[in-house]
Amino acid sequence: MGLKPVLTKDFGTEGLRQLDAYERTGGYAGYKKALSEIKPDDLVELVKKSGLRGRGGAGFPTGNKWSFLPKGMYPRYLVCNADESEPGCFKDRYLIEESPHQVLEGILIAAFAIGCNTAFIYIRGEYLPQYEALESAIEEATAAGYIGKNVLKSGFDVDVILHRGAGAYICGEETALLTSLEGYRGEPRLKPPFPAVKGLYGKPTVVNNVETVANLPHIVVNGADWFASMGTPTGKGTRVWCMSGHVNRPGNYELENGTPIRELIMEHGGGVWKNRRLKAFQPGGASMMVLLPEHLDVGLDFDAIQKAGSLAGAGAMVVMDETTCMVDAARRYVKFFHHESCGKCTPCREGTFWMSNLFDRFEFGEARPGDVDLLLDMGYNIDGRSFCPLGDASTWFPRSVIKYFRDEFEQHIAEKGCPFRKETEAAVAVA
Amino acid sequence: MASTVVTDQVTLTVNGQSVTVPKGTLILDAAKKIGIDIPIFCSHPKMAPVAVCRMCLVEVEKMPKLQPACAVYVADGMVVRTTTEQVQKYQKGVLEFLLINHPLDCPICDKGGECPLQDQTYQYGPGASRFDFEKAHFDKAVPLSDKIVLDRERCILCWRCTRFSEEISGERELALIQRGVHTIIGTFNDEPAQSNYQGNWTEICPVGALTSREYRFISRPWDLDRTASICPGCSMGCNIQVDARHNRIGRFQSRENLAVDDGWLCDFGRYSFPTFQRQGFEAPRVRQDGKLVEVSFEEAIAAAADGLAQARGAVAGWASPAATNEELFLFQRLFRQRLQSPHIDHRAFRPTWPDPDPDDMTLPIADLERCDYVVVLGGQEVIDAAPVLHLRLFKSERRGVKVLKIDAEQGARAREWVPADAQAVGILATVSHKKEATDLQAALGKKVKGSVRRLLVVRGPNGRGANDLGILPNFRPGYEGLNGQSGKGRAEWGKGGIGAAYIFEASPLHAFEATEDERRWLSGLKTLVMHRFRASPLDDLAHVIIPGRAFTEKAGTVTNMEGRVQRIGRAIDADAVPDDWMVLQAIARKLGAPWDYHESSDITADLLDLIPQYAAVDRGERVLWSERT
Ligand SMILES: Cc1cc2nc3c(=O)[nH]c(=O)nc-3n(C[C@H](O)[C@H](O)[C@H](O)COP(=O)(O)O)c2cc1C
Ligand code: SF4
Ligand code: SF4
Repeated sequence: MGLKPVLTKDFGTEGLRQLDAYERTGGYAGYKKALSEIKPDDLVELVKKSGLRGRGGAGFPTGNKWSFLPKGMYPRYLVCNADESEPGCFKDRYLIEESPHQVLEGILIAAFAIGCNTAFIYIRGEYLPQYEALESAIEEATAAGYIGKNVLKSGFDVDVILHRGAGAYICGEETALLTSLEGYRGEPRLKPPFPAVKGLYGKPTVVNNVETVANLPHIVVNGADWFASMGTPTGKGTRVWCMSGHVNRPGNYELENGTPIRELIMEHGGGVWKNRRLKAFQPGGASMMVLLPEHLDVGLDFDAIQKAGSLAGAGAMVVMDETTCMVDAARRYVKFFHHESCGKCTPCREGTFWMSNLFDRFEFGEARPGDVDLLLDMGYNIDGRSFCPLGDASTWFPRSVIKYFRDEFEQHIAEKGCPFRKETEAAVAVA
Repeated sequence: MASTVVTDQVTLTVNGQSVTVPKGTLILDAAKKIGIDIPIFCSHPKMAPVAVCRMCLVEVEKMPKLQPACAVYVADGMVVRTTTEQVQKYQKGVLEFLLINHPLDCPICDKGGECPLQDQTYQYGPGASRFDFEKAHFDKAVPLSDKIVLDRERCILCWRCTRFSEEISGERELALIQRGVHTIIGTFNDEPAQSNYQGNWTEICPVGALTSREYRFISRPWDLDRTASICPGCSMGCNIQVDARHNRIGRFQSRENLAVDDGWLCDFGRYSFPTFQRQGFEAPRVRQDGKLVEVSFEEAIAAAADGLAQARGAVAGWASPAATNEELFLFQRLFRQRLQSPHIDHRAFRPTWPDPDPDDMTLPIADLERCDYVVVLGGQEVIDAAPVLHLRLFKSERRGVKVLKIDAEQGARAREWVPADAQAVGILATVSHKKEATDLQAALGKKVKGSVRRLLVVRGPNGRGANDLGILPNFRPGYEGLNGQSGKGRAEWGKGGIGAAYIFEASPLHAFEATEDERRWLSGLKTLVMHRFRASPLDDLAHVIIPGRAFTEKAGTVTNMEGRVQRIGRAIDADAVPDDWMVLQAIARKLGAPWDYHESSDITADLLDLIPQYAAVDRGERVLWSERT
């Protein structure tokens, strides 16, 4: 357990963004090995055996996802999801920024494994420098013969197309991503059919997260057993946790799965800032439920976090100190979802609008008795009823805050405003 | 011995009731089959499921979340529950959501009274809203085109109109703009919509967001008198409902006939209703000393009978292809038996016309979907002549039928395009390109294995009936020849020998439309009788003007281009104006005919004696001439 740099091992190497430096650290060895020694189907088996689960949020076993592609249906597409737009998430950005070739190598391996000749990268519109890093990596890899026709005389043809999104969080959801990539309005699609059967341009498609694919070169080089030896029984390998909030050393930390949350926040993060006490933290990203100091010993692992009542999601960790107004925190997240709701379905479109209004009422001291129950009721009518998880998830953090911090809501009602803001204002006035 | 029976049927239970349906049925439809209604907004039987409104969520055993009944297909052994506490509580919730940004201006909304949102709110809704914030505001009364007005506040974003534009008409004129709670419906760059099918949007919109300009604030739905009829727009024969209030037409609505219109109307037909709106009483007139003076109907009829008889057979008769079969039946009898004139016609002016025959309609409209290749000979010209055909063609194309639209002169291209192994080929053309169509049909008949059939679009809602009933100089009713006794057709009337004419212009949409030359010979006649609903450009040449009835003011039957005999209903009372058939009977009686019809349905009975095939009217079927013995 603890820090375990696998993906991030060589980060900081001078010139790692360039092909030659990347190759000096062992880069593209996995790709070459795959092309020359491993049959695509065996590659799928290898990844299955490694136990790698998707790092994009849902934690779906990657090898299984690949094997859902219907036999004999071509062309097939691989899409690397680099949309990373959830507040609190910035690990894909880091992975691309530091080592674009590692991501690219992973994409090429995945493409080879599933028999895809055209791979796509859908990158968040705001990630311009990262886009440029990937763009030049693709150029270099093409010049080196890793991309193109008959790669390294293996008979494998592959092309990689880089596409910038236009700033919608929903386009990280895989079906909305595909719709957007096709040039339509970014909105999720009805499932089934699942992308594996009918994805991009109606063809079988795999969507994988940046971090997911970045694991692949290492699995190919070091083997499935090596990978499976790290982590927990159901969460193999490492994860890059992007930590932010009220912590002394925010940033990305690659830890072996199962490492206690306490170690991430207190040790690597240097603990809560300004010598304050930890009030709460949120793993996973803006969608996920809040956890309390009593959960600090939970391991950083899909199943463990789920058991504790939240989700590991996309590997974010937002730390909140004792001065945090939990109602306001929930309000800000709700506003995010309200802003990002695509508008396709009623519960999310209308519900996030209403919730957002209701949270403002708490903030501005106009909330009334009954408003908390109203919020819970709205949660009932949104969660599990929305078209896609964006709507569902808009209710998760606020409802978990009501679960643990209902008194703060009552306080807002009783004191006709935010008790925390009053405190800060008073402190500012004294100083 | 255990054996598995392979079956395409699945059995499930809905609210404890068992139902067996074919595989691939949606929960919604399976429930409907046993009378269980699941509320919906976005779902539409003619569009692919989208599951966006989330109104239809139901419990399905073994599935953790509520499932959209409009998008989930049944499975064997499925257990569905639509009325549990969870479902009912959620239904209240989703309706509350739908209404938080809805203006609730039902009292001034055209849709009020026939609004699914209103109805379902009463049936499943919460009764009161807990939303007490400022609603999101949007533009109201946005002109989407000269036909449609959009109220963006009422819109519940069900996507029906956008899907119609994409999946039904294929024009993709309507789109969703912005996102989230700011999402609106609109056109590209706010340009006016140009579709000829916009009226359908108003019918499928489950709220009062899309409204017809012509119908805005005209009536409450419960004040409307509804009459089943047929669209007077063209020979397609789309089924309509005439909605009238205080004896004035409020609107034409579609009345689904899957074999004909598939539930849709074009705007040309739908919004033609003001043409049939009566503008007060008009007295008949007779020319006396060069001036038209008002007279009674009796006097006008007597003058007409007199003038026509005096021509001693040299009298031309033109009846509009919008007249009913009953009127046409009397019309040709009046001419052939009483006026001793075979010079009758119903067609537009052209130097020559090909002879009509029953083979012009061997391809039923709905069979377009079952062809594998369809040639639209004349392209847009054919669509313009029967616009709802486009929707059927587009639907067929989406189902895999290959459709080629080419100019009528490009038959050679079609000959190459249709492969020899084609199973069922259809040819569509307007009647003016019959020759090209039959040439192509003959050529393809030799080339391909399967069937090659044609369907000709004729002029007017009863153009086919006019052919069937022999409103032609060279055919008796039922395509019987005249053994050398043929009369003169419209093209010959101007060449001399005609002394009088009776022009029965039943519909302003399908009027005589005289050419300059025709006006010249018409002005030289001793007697010109104009029997027409609305002022005609020929009135100034007339000696007798008999005001007639509008399409919406009479009952009878009309035959659409594929030979389907359908009833039109009397939606508007026009008692001061004698029914058109009565005028025809009165003229004939003046000339000694013993006719004594009391209702137009009496004529239908006689007509059936002459043309038994027309009995198809009571079965809603096509007239099959091949059955003729
Ligand atoms: C609203 C929403 C946003 C998402 N955003 C992202 C994203 O930015 N990046 C990502 O990899 N997955 C995102 N996902 C998850 C994807 O739908 C998908 O599960 C994932 O890309 C699959 O990759 P993986 O199997 O490698 O995890 C999002 C899901 C939802 C519902
Ligand atoms: S839950 Fe509905 S409105 Fe929200 S993002 Fe998903 S599809 Fe769009
Ligand atoms: S305008 Fe009507 S049909 Fe179109 S999306 Fe809105 S509610 Fe639906």
